[in-house]
Amino acid sequence: MIPAPFDYTRPTTVEDAVTALRAGGAGAKVIAGGQSLVRMLQRRLVRPTLLVDVGCLSRMREVVEEPDHLVIGATTTQHELLHDARVRAHAPLLSLVARHVGDPAVRHRGTLGGSVAHADPAGDPPAAVLALDGEIIVEGPRGERVIPSAEFFVGPFRTALEPDELLVGVRVPKMGEGWTVHYEKFRLSAQKPTLLGVAVMVRRVGDCFTDAHIALANSGSTPVRATAVEVALVGADVTEEAVTKAADLLDGTMEPFARQGVSQAYLAHLARVLTRRAVVAALSW
Amino acid sequence: MTGARPRVDGPAKVTGAARYAAEWRAADLRHAALVTSPVPAATITAVDTSAAERVPGVVAVFTHHNAPRLRPPVGAPYGGRLPLQDNRVHYEGEPVAVVVAERLEQAREAVGLVRLDYAPLSAETDFRAVADTAVPTPPARWGPADTTVGDLAAGIAEADVVLRAEYSTAARHHSPIETSATQAEWRDGVLTLRDATQGVFNVHAVVSSALDLPADRVRVLAEYTGGGFGSKGYVWPHQVIAAMLARELGGALRLVLTRAQSFTSHGYQPPTRQRLVLAATAEGRFTAIRHDSLSPTSTYGEYVEMTANGSRVAYACPAITTTHRVAPVATVLPTPMRAPHEGPGMFALEVAVDEVACELGIDPLELRLRNHAEVDPTSGKPFSTKGLLACYAEGARRFGWADRPRATGSLREGDQLIGWGMATAVMATMRFPAAARARLHADGRVVVEAGCQEIGTGTYTIMPQLAAEVLGCPPEQVVLRLGDTALPRTGMTAGSSTTLSVGSAVTAAAEALAARLALLATGDPTAAVRLDGIELTVKNGAVEVFRLDELFARLGVDSVAAGGSWEPRENQRSMHTFGAVFAEVAVDVDLPVPRVRRLVAVYSAGRIVNPLTARGQMTGGLVWGIGQALLEKSTTDHRLGRFVDKNLAGYRLPVNADVPDLDVAFVEEYDPHASGIGARGIGELGSVGVAPAIANAVHHATGKRVRSLPIALEDLL
Ligand SMILES: Cc1cc2nc3c(=O)[nH]c(=O)nc-3n(C[C@H](O)[C@H](O)[C@H](O)COP(=O)(O)OP(=O)(O)OC[C@H]3O[C@@H](n4cnc5c(N)ncnc54)[C@H](O)[C@@H]3O)c2cc1C
Repeated sequence: MIPAPFDYTRPTTVEDAVTALRAGGAGAKVIAGGQSLVRMLQRRLVRPTLLVDVGCLSRMREVVEEPDHLVIGATTTQHELLHDARVRAHAPLLSLVARHVGDPAVRHRGTLGGSVAHADPAGDPPAAVLALDGEIIVEGPRGERVIPSAEFFVGPFRTALEPDELLVGVRVPKMGEGWTVHYEKFRLSAQKPTLLGVAVMVRRVGDCFTDAHIALANSGSTPVRATAVEVALVGADVTEEAVTKAADLLDGTMEPFARQGVSQAYLAHLARVLTRRAVVAALSW
Repeated sequence: MTGARPRVDGPAKVTGAARYAAEWRAADLRHAALVTSPVPAATITAVDTSAAERVPGVVAVFTHHNAPRLRPPVGAPYGGRLPLQDNRVHYEGEPVAVVVAERLEQAREAVGLVRLDYAPLSAETDFRAVADTAVPTPPARWGPADTTVGDLAAGIAEADVVLRAEYSTAARHHSPIETSATQAEWRDGVLTLRDATQGVFNVHAVVSSALDLPADRVRVLAEYTGGGFGSKGYVWPHQVIAAMLARELGGALRLVLTRAQSFTSHGYQPPTRQRLVLAATAEGRFTAIRHDSLSPTSTYGEYVEMTANGSRVAYACPAITTTHRVAPVATVLPTPMRAPHEGPGMFALEVAVDEVACELGIDPLELRLRNHAEVDPTSGKPFSTKGLLACYAEGARRFGWADRPRATGSLREGDQLIGWGMATAVMATMRFPAAARARLHADGRVVVEAGCQEIGTGTYTIMPQLAAEVLGCPPEQVVLRLGDTALPRTGMTAGSSTTLSVGSAVTAAAEALAARLALLATGDPTAAVRLDGIELTVKNGAVEVFRLDELFARLGVDSVAAGGSWEPRENQRSMHTFGAVFAEVAVDVDLPVPRVRRLVAVYSAGRIVNPLTARGQMTGGLVWGIGQALLEKSTTDHRLGRFVDKNLAGYRLPVNADVPDLDVAFVEEYDPHASGIGARGIGELGSVGVAPAIANAVHHATGKRVRSLPIALEDLL
């Protein structure tokens, strides 16, 4: 329960942080809220030689409003996501999902960037970012690049980030007219991690769905979009039958990273039920 | 005096001032770490400790080749094999080598370098595969293995409904927060152990006999024990190892089990397979009960989970047959775990009663009332005190049981099916002889001494209350010293017996002290005394007030002491505690995970000395029962012959967010037969009856009958 020895630095600018990361080479690792990293350090699942603390980079803590987007700094905590007026107004799915992360103590430390960079297949915020078609803003020795969330998550705890790159923010479209959202999460008992999470954004015009984004947590080695359900919903009537029919299209071939002793049949059933419920709940949002 | 008094040891525990076994310093302290067997049965064919010995700081490495020889321990239950005495392995996790080093890190490092070759032997860990027909020999205080009253066949023949069903419960582990630890010191021919134990005298007996040391050369201390739940009741190999190596090497030695080792080093609650026959007439009178229990024991020792004990006493019935059999498997010896015997056993009986109630169309509470036992149906003896009818009535009132719809699946809230269930709790009262001493100092301090343990139940709080009640002083004036074999002897803190047994001795000691004071002050030992600060009021016709400092100066003493003791006597009474547990569960219609929404429990447990600590015990028991019902299960990989989840991430326990509103109440009672203070045992009763109440509520919600614990998703799909 004692981490292997490491050095520690706390830069005050993004540039210094990137420089430190590059200088530290393969042994360097970013630490933000530490809610996932410290537990891995304790068990020596990772043995970095240098920790670059990004907690003092004020630029990464900001929420910036653009005409059609919100850029949320990487070190914005889950607690802030839950309470920030702009996030609540323009990206309510992120506020909703933040509520489901751990407990208040965890949410006060854990960050959006940390959740996304950590890329736990059972993590809740990554699914929401994927459903939002968010973009991941990255800063590195080669300057800034923007990675679509669909390309960012590449495997369990693996992302498109290079070791010397810093995740500086997440850019999400502001929620437009007619959209409603919901995050539905299921766990077997209070202390168990997410067995399945469903992030839903749907848009209705009149009695008809005109758009749907649905992403699942712990349903594969990365968060995944439920494309078949999305396609089936668009153009469908806003009725419980139509929602059920669409949700039943989830084919049950999901391979969760953490199975928690539950059968494949149950997981498939769970995904269908939670997806139906999440869409129905989004409608009454 | 007696009444609601908050835990006096709370601040010390919260601030870290309370010192546990592994927290004592010594200048020459060394650390021991265990190498344990990865296989369940084997012969050790080769040993190579050279790499381990080369680790800096390593003092010695012990295996069966060089460990000191031991004698078979006597005088207290010992759950292991004698460690490092031969080349045989009887269970995965058995200690096979020990490293001693200057620092813990060095010892741990060296553990990984000890090389042992094993020739594996065939090993069975699935008790169902090796059912044994031999009748086991449980300790006398647990009752015989088998009992029969009445004519079972006749009872079945005259019944209108006969339920035959098989029930099972899972293997569970205690896993207290404080992992077991022993700090042993050998100085000037005296061995002192600071031990995480539920019984200092047990440790004393085992260690002194195994090491062949005179009793007065061994002292065992346990000022605080960080939870036990049964795991620290029996004595186990790690305690013997620490003692033996301290004597071998001299100086101080500390051995702390890892969390993983705590799943293989000191027993577990065995899984059970229970077969029930419950026969009843159409009017709902039980005519026959048969309860056959099978549970595993180890290949090297015997432990019997007395699962059918509750069925011997729970209901009035003319024909009751119970049997217990054990099946030897290659694991560490199973051991009592809160609540042993009735804990798993009442699950089977109480679900069976619910099943019969459903079949007969009689309300489950009503069926229990119709079969209420006025006397112990197996022994025929009257109960010492029994307030179960009041428990049923008060529990039903608090819960709102009268509004329960009969039909299953008829309560629904949105996606949730709601179910109400109930069960009876019964637990045998265990008692042991105890002695205590009370000493009054000139400054008014009363020091009570008894060699019992504080395992988190409130002993430090309520023993002073009992002494204060006798002496008429505030409880703050009394302190308790415990956990030391140099103090007056008591039994172990197990079987919910400490308050009633030690409490009776403490009361006797306080009474003897009062008599002594009366005698010294007035010459009449029967005069009434009341202590308040340093004023002693003696009433002997006239009322006289003495100042202690003056009185003691006049007598030429600085303190006055007296001893008392208490012993359970055979009194032709059947002694049990009782309770009624009511549960409300919600089961999602589509994702049928049961969640407990509320529990109401009312108990008949004799006099309640302190309602706060008593409530703490019962709420803890209810949470424990929720774990038994829904979460706790130690899975064995029978191919590898080992428990799978040796940590608290894989072994699921309820946390606060899993626990709903708990409503606990006691029936007002004084039991003149069970103890000297009107009390019976309560600690473990709270975890009895919870699982069946929940399972019965799940049936009411869903129509699905669950006969095995913990309730699994698959049961409800
Ligand atoms: C008790 C508990 C309960 C939890 N429950 C949940 C839950 O229900 N749902 C859920 O989704 N999560 C849960 N978590 C996980 C946790 O909250 C998140 O993973 C965490 O908040 C990640 O953010 P962080 O700032 O703490 O990241 P850290 O732990 O500091 O870092 C995590 C990883 O991300 C990298 N990293 C962090 N920031 C950056 C950056 N800006 N640029 C590049 N790399 C970066 C680190 O190098 C590290 O590899 C729980 C954690 C705990 C302790």
